[in-house]
Amino acid sequence: MTLPLPEDDGGGRFPGLRTLELRDHWDEATSSLILSRVGRPPDVCFFNAEEEGIAAAMLDQLVGQEGEPRVPLVNVVDARLAAGETDGWRYADLPEDGEVWRRSVRFIDEDARERYGVGFADATAAQQEAVLEAVHRTEGQWHGMPAGHVWNLWLRYACTAFYAHPWAWDEIGFPGPAYPRGYSNLGVGRREHFEVRDAHPGEQA
Amino acid sequence: MRGPNPLTTARTLASIKARNESAWLLPVSSPDVTERMRRYEDDDEVDLVIVGCGAGGSTVAQRLAREGWSVVVLEAGPFWEPERDWVSDEAGSHHLYWTEPRVIDGEDPVPLGSNNSGRGVGGSMVHFAGYAPRLHPSDFHTDTLDGVGADWPLDYEDLRPYYEDMEEELPVAGQDWPWGEPHSYPHSPHPVGGNGEVFLRGAENCGIEARVGPVAIANGRFGHRRHCIYRGFCLQGCKVDAKASPLITHVPDAIVHGAEIRANSTATRIEVDERTGLATGVHFVHGGVERFQRARNVAVAAYSIETPRLLLNSSSQRFPNGLCNDFDFVGRYLMVQGAPQTGGRFEDEVRMYKAPPPEVSTEQFYETDPSKPYKRGFSIQTVSPLPITWAEHIAAQGHWGRDLRRRMSDFVHWACLGALCEFLPLPENRVTLDSEKDRRGMPVAHVTYSRGGNDKRLMKAAQETMEQILHAAGASEVMTIQRYAHLVGGARMAADEEHGVVDADCRTFAVPNLFITDGSVFPTQGSANPALTIMALAARTAARLAAGARQGVRRPTEAFTLQKES
Ligand SMILES: Cc1cc2nc3c(=O)[nH]c(=O)nc-3n(C[C@H](O)[C@H](O)[C@H](O)COP(=O)(O)OP(=O)(O)OC[C@H]3O[C@@H](n4cnc5c(N)ncnc54)[C@H](O)[C@@H]3O)c2cc1C
Ligand code: SF4
Repeated sequence: MTLPLPEDDGGGRFPGLRTLELRDHWDEATSSLILSRVGRPPDVCFFNAEEEGIAAAMLDQLVGQEGEPRVPLVNVVDARLAAGETDGWRYADLPEDGEVWRRSVRFIDEDARERYGVGFADATAAQQEAVLEAVHRTEGQWHGMPAGHVWNLWLRYACTAFYAHPWAWDEIGFPGPAYPRGYSNLGVGRREHFEVRDAHPGEQA
Repeated sequence: MRGPNPLTTARTLASIKARNESAWLLPVSSPDVTERMRRYEDDDEVDLVIVGCGAGGSTVAQRLAREGWSVVVLEAGPFWEPERDWVSDEAGSHHLYWTEPRVIDGEDPVPLGSNNSGRGVGGSMVHFAGYAPRLHPSDFHTDTLDGVGADWPLDYEDLRPYYEDMEEELPVAGQDWPWGEPHSYPHSPHPVGGNGEVFLRGAENCGIEARVGPVAIANGRFGHRRHCIYRGFCLQGCKVDAKASPLITHVPDAIVHGAEIRANSTATRIEVDERTGLATGVHFVHGGVERFQRARNVAVAAYSIETPRLLLNSSSQRFPNGLCNDFDFVGRYLMVQGAPQTGGRFEDEVRMYKAPPPEVSTEQFYETDPSKPYKRGFSIQTVSPLPITWAEHIAAQGHWGRDLRRRMSDFVHWACLGALCEFLPLPENRVTLDSEKDRRGMPVAHVTYSRGGNDKRLMKAAQETMEQILHAAGASEVMTIQRYAHLVGGARMAADEEHGVVDADCRTFAVPNLFITDGSVFPTQGSANPALTIMALAARTAARLAAGARQGVRRPTEAFTLQKES
């Protein structure tokens, strides 16, 4: 599977890299973990149905996911919140992570309704982006929470869920787990036979 | 000083083995080690109970078990089985970190968890990067020399022999070291990957000296440990046993010498007899059940946050403000190092995820430079973030959505350096107890941090130097994020009780048979990564205890010594 990403946005740089096809070279513990990420997504149980729809749209926007196939971000984040799997700290001016997420989806939905007269999940992609960008640009409080700290939390959860997925690794040229095989060609410009050369190396970030 | 690299001769190996056989006892899961582990009853008054099986705790356990002391180590996290429990994956390594609740506060709140603390047998070194530099001699006298920070009640010379021992036991690989007290390393330097190559080239082009190492990754034959396979997942726990952590460097030897490592056991309170003023043991929770381990001596080595938290939570009639807190030092002078990271973009593929993240360092800017607007200094090292961490870097620059994806697709072209800036100890930077409680009903740690002016100036200078190096290596674009690393302090060492919590032997001033043997005791931190110094200091404390050099220490009885199987 390849995630849909236009070339202008960095798609297609590592043609043929399929990290999952390297799985015979992974140890058992790692292999079963990574395969679980491409298996059936965990059922949503922390968010209620309405929250799920809003959170799914929001997470997709945060990492620019449009169209299928997609990494099931809402399921992954929901499972983390249900299990209380935090990063091991919270800002003193925010409640615990699960509560921040619940409030966030409610407020982001309110923002969308106020601006466009539709709920966040039903808004167009451009509208969703504008609602999120407004939070990103907020200095100070957003619905009674410090906007910068909330934004940081959203991005941490979204990035962790997305860049843990083998399809996302294919997109950035990262070959994934490396035990027990390891690497033997170290150094600038050197590749293993299973690594794929960047087809557009001149692209500036 | 030892001779040229590599000098791991048969004779040196024999002398290491005679001091610490761990590398020859691996794997830890072998029945010879774990199944033979001795178990004590809670009612046994053991010679020493240690809280925390990390860098400091494991070292003391190994040293004193060898001296015939009966030792129990209480460890909150699990007893890891690397092949089963660790994965070659970033998100899947979440369970290695201390993820119980903590609250962060202050002008510069410091993210914790995966950023700086671990759990389980081996402690934070299970997922530490692996840099193992020494402090410099000047670090022990920053007040006298520079008028900032504090003087330690001991000297570099006091630690030197323990540094040398630890460098052999981990073991440490690297080039001859020209900074601080010049020294060499027992193992020769590892080959470098793209990131190390970029650093070396950039440094050379702008006249900065950089060296390969020092890393706690064996390079060559060392007991049953396998050779590094350059897979780059050091921060996720080394499944290969190439990178050092106490789980493989000290715990096996401790166990075969009779120590009990009691995993999944969280200490909640240290008990002190109001009449004698001595510690009598430690309350802990195991499997939801509260228990009490009696002991003749107690050592706390639970990391710079949990150590002060435990002391503060152990208040009593005699110590109403927390154990050993008569002079309001417990939890204060907590320190992080400013750790900005600068990435540089290269048209060639760098692929920094290959090879261990710790490769190359420079300590050229470590000491106070009178021409600069700040005191003390910084070091620079390679750091090689994996995709999730790199995405957080990009997000920290304000990128998100498609913009984030586009920048991430450029991952293989980036190199990344990190600085360690010596932040100065400030009394307001501290651990207190929060009103929030953990699942055992114990108040969680509330960690407050704000930088001083010197700290900010150092961070700026370090960023400029990293950008200069990367540009000199040919980077077309650079970006920096502000980060912090390595918590130490919170129960500082001092000459007397009016200036700190413990003395030079890590013994608390207030309770003669209570010791603190982790990074909490650092009065200052230098710009070296702390683990080697924590271990060296713990080994020194253990040697002092074994020699019975200090009055008040309750030495093991003969009966206990004889019981030992070994
Ligand atoms: C990502 C990362 C990279 C790092 N890289 C480096 C590096 O390259 N070089 C370096 O020198 N340092 C590095 N460090 C820091 C280094 O690992 C720590 O400074 C060091 O391990 C601290 O030693 P310690 O003995 O103070 O605590 P730890 O090693 O953390 O040990 C404390 C132990 O106590 C246990 N514990 C806590 N509370 C309780 C309780 N109440 N009851 C029972 N047990 C308890 C914990 O579970 C833990 O196992 C890094 C850290 C991180 C997170
Ligand atoms: S790079 Fe080497 S030391 Fe690091 S985890 Fe891999 S094998 Fe272990």
